[in-house]
Amino acid sequence: MNEIIQLIVEKINYIGAVALFVIGLRIVVLHSNLIKRIMGINIMGTGVFLFFVAIGNVTGGRTPIVGDNPDIVFINPLPSVFILTGIVVVVSITVYSLSLVIRIYQNYGTIDQRELARLINEEDNVR
Amino acid sequence: MFVEQLPIINLILFLFMALIIPLLKRRPFKITLILGFIVLGLVLASSIYLLWYVNNVDSISYTFGGHEARFGIEFLINPFSALFSTMILGLAMIIYIYSSGDATEGVESSEYGRYYVLLFILLMALFGILYTNDLFNTYVFIEILSITTCAIVSIKKKKETYTSAFRYIMMNEIGSLSYLFGVALIYMATGYTNISMISETISVAFSANPVNIIIALGFMVAGLGIKTAVFPLHIWLPDAYSNAPSTSSAILSGIISKGYILVLIKVLYQVFGLDILRELNIQVVLLVLAGTAMIAGSIFAIAQKDVKRMLAYSSVSQVGYILLGVALFSFLGLRAAFFHIFSHAIMKTALFLSVGEIIFYKKTRKVNDFDGLGFIMPVAMGVFSIAALGMIGIPLTSGFISKLNLGIAILDNNYIVFLIILILSSLLNVLYYLPIIILGFLRNEKYHYRMTRIEHTPTTMITPLFILGFLIIGLGLFPNVIFPMIDAAVNTLIP
Repeated sequence: MNEIIQLIVEKINYIGAVALFVIGLRIVVLHSNLIKRIMGINIMGTGVFLFFVAIGNVTGGRTPIVGDNPDIVFINPLPSVFILTGIVVVVSITVYSLSLVIRIYQNYGTIDQRELARLINEEDNVR
Repeated sequence: MFVEQLPIINLILFLFMALIIPLLKRRPFKITLILGFIVLGLVLASSIYLLWYVNNVDSISYTFGGHEARFGIEFLINPFSALFSTMILGLAMIIYIYSSGDATEGVESSEYGRYYVLLFILLMALFGILYTNDLFNTYVFIEILSITTCAIVSIKKKKETYTSAFRYIMMNEIGSLSYLFGVALIYMATGYTNISMISETISVAFSANPVNIIIALGFMVAGLGIKTAVFPLHIWLPDAYSNAPSTSSAILSGIISKGYILVLIKVLYQVFGLDILRELNIQVVLLVLAGTAMIAGSIFAIAQKDVKRMLAYSSVSQVGYILLGVALFSFLGLRAAFFHIFSHAIMKTALFLSVGEIIFYKKTRKVNDFDGLGFIMPVAMGVFSIAALGMIGIPLTSGFISKLNLGIAILDNNYIVFLIILILSSLLNVLYYLPIIILGFLRNEKYHYRMTRIEHTPTTMITPLFILGFLIIGLGLFPNVIFPMIDAAVNTLIP
């Protein structure tokens, strides 16, 4: 039992990342509120970013600024750099999809997926 | 060396053009169009030169900022990337000529440029995806591509397009984040994002951390599968294709879905390598997916009354053909898949553009309204018929050659079941394409009043259709023109 707890504590960052990813996926797929689905995408993204940062971590490592002392262990800076790019990308996706939601609201007067499906169906039948 | 700079110059030219279009807003729109055409022509010339160079001299590798490939970004132009970037640009030029007549319909004159800004950024992202030799860089280009793609779907301010674009971007984003998770897992196991370095070290990493590699493969195949619309993951596709403007549909099915398939091929063959794929037995999964897509896509297409929805479902089944070739994991299979990428891109573009012209004039999308159209719009309906016959796989068209090659590749691997599925799928294609052709050219007394030919068809919309029709038949008659280049591309992926 102790070993399992030990394992969970050691890998807590990886477990957290995967949990965030799955929570986000669940929201995107199953929620009917469009804004909440965009939030789901953001949570999924955060999960992946946490995973990247967790990979780069070195136990006892320090910020990678090269100084006089050559013996210091640095953490891996590359994953953090990837994540900077990733954050920018997810922000732009969020902005674009939010603007789509605004347009959907202006045209249909609702941001609920089920309501939208009903309205679109009715329009198709009228045509 | 000047040649090494050419790929970067291609990308910069696209970005430069995208930047300059909004600045030309107050000038006549013709200036923008001509300038864009010049840029496309320049890039086409340099792509063709690159294609010649990599096939006859050597592959080109370029690292940005002089950082070694381990830390920096590397562009690698080999026969594979050069061949497909040239194909994509050629098709993009044809669609560009066509779109100058169509994309402006229903858009305010001050906003004409928007479509072209998106088009050029999109081409930049596609070229980046093909040129780059870095998994994370591929992710960034994929995201640029997904935003611009969704934007060209929703460019005309109609309300249906907003909901379909929203669904498209949600699915796309699940796909990209899954892909990114795969990249993270591979980076964890190997310590690289550079594709050539990963392929050197992945067998060691696989024996050390097999779980990482297996999960990474699953995430990447699923993520890219959503983007290429492999059958059970295709739910975004029919809405996006049918609600988008015709030129956007042509770009989506002719160019963008091909870009994602090429990334999938790159990931499977270059990153993981055939040894690991065979050991994990992923082949069965891919073959089953391909087989179901081929049959189910065609069956769904038969039920559609809207022409563009029908073409969209037909795309689902055609993706199955390409995936089947890829999943055979043999030289012949990949060769057939590459040829089918070519022929399907050309045929689907021709179908969407000719249907686009019909919609442009007749304002109808119902299959039943097509009767007698062959007499009113001979060019559009003629090209539609040629492309539809190509889809069925009638000899003399490029579709026949790709199905022949696919059949040979299947027989070579002894999967007789898939030969039956291939034939069955072709027969299903007959069921939904042939009625349209018969309707179009059936001289019916009732429709005599329609017999006057429509005048003033803009040449900018007719010429691309002529070119595409000739290309379909040309590739069907002389497939050996491009087979040497395809063989070279296959050889870079299968050592």
